[in-house]
Amino acid sequence: MNIFKKRAPAAEQAAEEGSKTNEKKHATLDIFDFSGENAITVKDVDLYYGEFQALKNINMAMPKYQITAMIGPSGCGKSTLIKTLNRMNDLVEGCRVEGEITIGGLNIYDKGVDLSALRKNVGMVFQKPNPFPMSVYDNIAYGPRTFGIKKKSTLDEIVERSLKQAAMWDELKDRLNKSALGLSGGQQQRLCIARALAVGPQILLMDEPTSALDPISTGKIEELCEELKKDVTIVMVTHNMQQAARISDKTAFFLLGEMIEMGDTEQIFSAPTHPETERYITGRFG
Amino acid sequence: MEKALSEEKTASRKRAKVKPSELFAKILFIVCACLSIVAVFGIIGYILYGSIPAFREIGFFRFLFGTTWQPTHDRFGILPMLVNSLIVTLGAIIIGGTVGVFTAIFLAFWCPDKFHFQYKGKNEFLKKLIAGINKINLRTIFDQIIKVLAGIPSIVYGLFGMEVLVSLFSGGSPIGGKGILTCSVLLAIMILPTVTSLSKNALDAVPEQYFEGALAMGNTKAQAVFRVVVPAARSGIISALILGVGRAVGEAMAVIWVSGNRALFPTGLFSYIRTLTTNIVMEMGYATNIHRSALIATGLVLLVLVLIITLSLNLVPKEFKGKRGDKVLNGDASATYVFRKKGTVCNVCAIFGMVCAGLVAVILLAIILYILISGVGCLTSAFLFGEASVNTPTLGPALLATLELIGITLLIALPVGICAAIYLNEYAKKGSKIVKVIRTFIDALSGVPSIVFGLFGNILFVTALGLGFSVWGGAFTMVLVVLPTVIRSTEEALFAVPMPLREASYGLGASKVRTIFKIVLPSAFPGIATAAILSIGRIIGESAALIFTMGTAFNFSGNPGGAGSSLAVLLYSCANEGLHMNEAYALAVILLLLTLILNLIVYFIQRHVKKKR
Ligand SMILES: Nc1ncnc2c1ncn2[C@@H]1O[C@H](COP(=O)(O)OP(=O)(O)OP(=O)(O)O)[C@@H](O)[C@H]1O
Ligand SMILES: [Mg+2]
Repeated sequence: MNIFKKRAPAAEQAAEEGSKTNEKKHATLDIFDFSGENAITVKDVDLYYGEFQALKNINMAMPKYQITAMIGPSGCGKSTLIKTLNRMNDLVEGCRVEGEITIGGLNIYDKGVDLSALRKNVGMVFQKPNPFPMSVYDNIAYGPRTFGIKKKSTLDEIVERSLKQAAMWDELKDRLNKSALGLSGGQQQRLCIARALAVGPQILLMDEPTSALDPISTGKIEELCEELKKDVTIVMVTHNMQQAARISDKTAFFLLGEMIEMGDTEQIFSAPTHPETERYITGRFG
Repeated sequence: MEKALSEEKTASRKRAKVKPSELFAKILFIVCACLSIVAVFGIIGYILYGSIPAFREIGFFRFLFGTTWQPTHDRFGILPMLVNSLIVTLGAIIIGGTVGVFTAIFLAFWCPDKFHFQYKGKNEFLKKLIAGINKINLRTIFDQIIKVLAGIPSIVYGLFGMEVLVSLFSGGSPIGGKGILTCSVLLAIMILPTVTSLSKNALDAVPEQYFEGALAMGNTKAQAVFRVVVPAARSGIISALILGVGRAVGEAMAVIWVSGNRALFPTGLFSYIRTLTTNIVMEMGYATNIHRSALIATGLVLLVLVLIITLSLNLVPKEFKGKRGDKVLNGDASATYVFRKKGTVCNVCAIFGMVCAGLVAVILLAIILYILISGVGCLTSAFLFGEASVNTPTLGPALLATLELIGITLLIALPVGICAAIYLNEYAKKGSKIVKVIRTFIDALSGVPSIVFGLFGNILFVTALGLGFSVWGGAFTMVLVVLPTVIRSTEEALFAVPMPLREASYGLGASKVRTIFKIVLPSAFPGIATAAILSIGRIIGESAALIFTMGTAFNFSGNPGGAGSSLAVLLYSCANEGLHMNEAYALAVILLLLTLILNLIVYFIQRHVKKKR
């Protein structure tokens, strides 16, 4: 089960297939080196949407194989920050990032960074489950196919492994060819996690992954995260204080585009240094 | 500050890196999107080029303001025809505009979803029948009525006009019922769908508060609708009317048999006339030299007229207007006085709306019934399965020619239109200048009258490129005709694909092109299929653009390099000289059935999509 320790299984398999173009393509995928202690380092990051500054001088580090929770009131910039980590913000018109974000030893905002390679290493799970309108199998195979894997047996293997990784194999192994849209909301979200895992990411970004789900599905996903963090680094935005307290190792508190404080989850929830943090946490706990 | 600026520069440079394949795709999409611009300029250019000999020989002012058109005596003055076109259009917009707008008002506010018939008797059959009728969704029915009316080919309207309207009006006229009034009525019917559906869209878009606010201030439903909501939707309704005007000015085939065909100034409601469009259709077949150039110049006048009309749409302000609406929204007490009046006028208007809607339904029913009743008997096996010759038209060759025409046209128009839509929806910045320009040109292209497309195709494909009358020539022309439809419906379909699907794909490392082709386009498939079917409908129904590009031969070899009639063109040639009226009716039945079938297919696709959401 430690496929993620050997980096990028999908890339290796592609190379095994021996196609020249694939080898060339995947040479660039190995530019990331995750041997360091922190998976992500954010340094002096400012972000603007046009004139509006949404992130102000953010400095933080996400340690490897841990879950980092980001909390804070609505509109404080959590989604914005998590989207800068795999440059999904590039899709937003007029969005400008200054500062440095280092992932796997590379500043991802450097010129010439291959977005495709970056996003392969930094997977993302969204607030609302967004499976493609295709079969379960094709959903999961979409990512590997993007990176040139065509061989059926290889794809079969990846699909099985990813579903097992997301603890859904038994649930879905007989429905691989059914449309993913027929699954329940919770199943869809876990399928999205499996889909993200299929390209072998080192980091998984999750923006309120359980906010659209019922408590039971939420529980399953939390369990899954605890299991996954053996192999991947997880960054999760959540509005649910208990969730952050339950599963995260580090917690960062944001307010109005600034990071107020970050520390071990226990410390943040028991003895926050900043009064704002305390007020937010206690307010939420009722 | 300086630092920020320089960093901004580096940031934008960082973002600029694009892979060659991505760049190639993007360029392809842009080129396709700009094709509409090229097409419009191409059409203007070639038509202008073809008109120059006429202007040089005749003189621009003598041409435009000359009052006699006698090609045999080298007199080419189009003023009477220009005046006729304008008068007929005015008549059409007065009649069709009124009926259309009031129908839209009825559909938007009064049309019940379902019938509520009560039946207390014991007859089981009647009980079931009434229950069945009560299940029918009246709004859907009207929606379909409007769409079918829009889909019926011009030439079928022409046949209906010649046989039914003319004899209907001949009672009031000493010389047989053709002329201004008949043309106006027929054109009014033809612009009904445009006016009604667009007006209804405009009314539906008015915020609910206007209506509710007015009710809350104590006026009746009719007052709220006519004094507040309709004025608020004014700009949309005006746009609908303008588009109706454009449609009426450019229509050729519907009026060709009911105008009377005399290039003189009108003297009364029933005086025989000739319009700009019919002038071209009547004479283009045999005209040469200056005469031909003069006809092309007629097309130029028509084109300019229509372009002005279409472009004037951009001048209509887009916001909701209306003093009373504002007062209502602000809760201004001075508005209440107006509303306390009894509102008889408004009630009458409401009833008039219902009458108009009923009239629209009756008109469609009349057309369908008339064509079916007089045409079904004409579907003889000799026509359906017989062999064609120079003098005997049969279905076979026309069907084959039509199928080839559809195939070739779609093979070109679909990829180009889809690529253009991809550029507009996936690449271009929303509301950027280039998008506005492209959209304006797409609108302009969709407003160009069929007959002008025909002239253009004749000049460029048939003559200049040496294709001769051929399916190729017809297909290339039809590509331009259907392009706006394809682009618009595809764009709508792409727009409806949820953003999160794209994000999921990007999040997995997929490129933009892969995301578009693997995720966005497949999700938009039903919409694209709709675009294809709408285009097929347009191609099947088209005649004016094909007569001078594909020809009117009864025979067709099957080779797209040769001439052949499409179904609609065959109807035209069969009925034009009155020699093959039975065949004409048979073709009208076939065209009508095809229209109904295509409408049904679109209906089911759209229902399928709605259910899935
Ligand atoms: N595309 C955008 N363009 C302009 N401003 C934006 C955009 N997206 C977000 N913002 C603004 O940036 C700020 C941060 O938004 P963001 O979505 O990151 O907040 P959030 O912390 O995720 O909030 P929530 O908890 O509600 O999800 C908000 O003020 C928001 O209005
Ligand atoms: Mg958010």
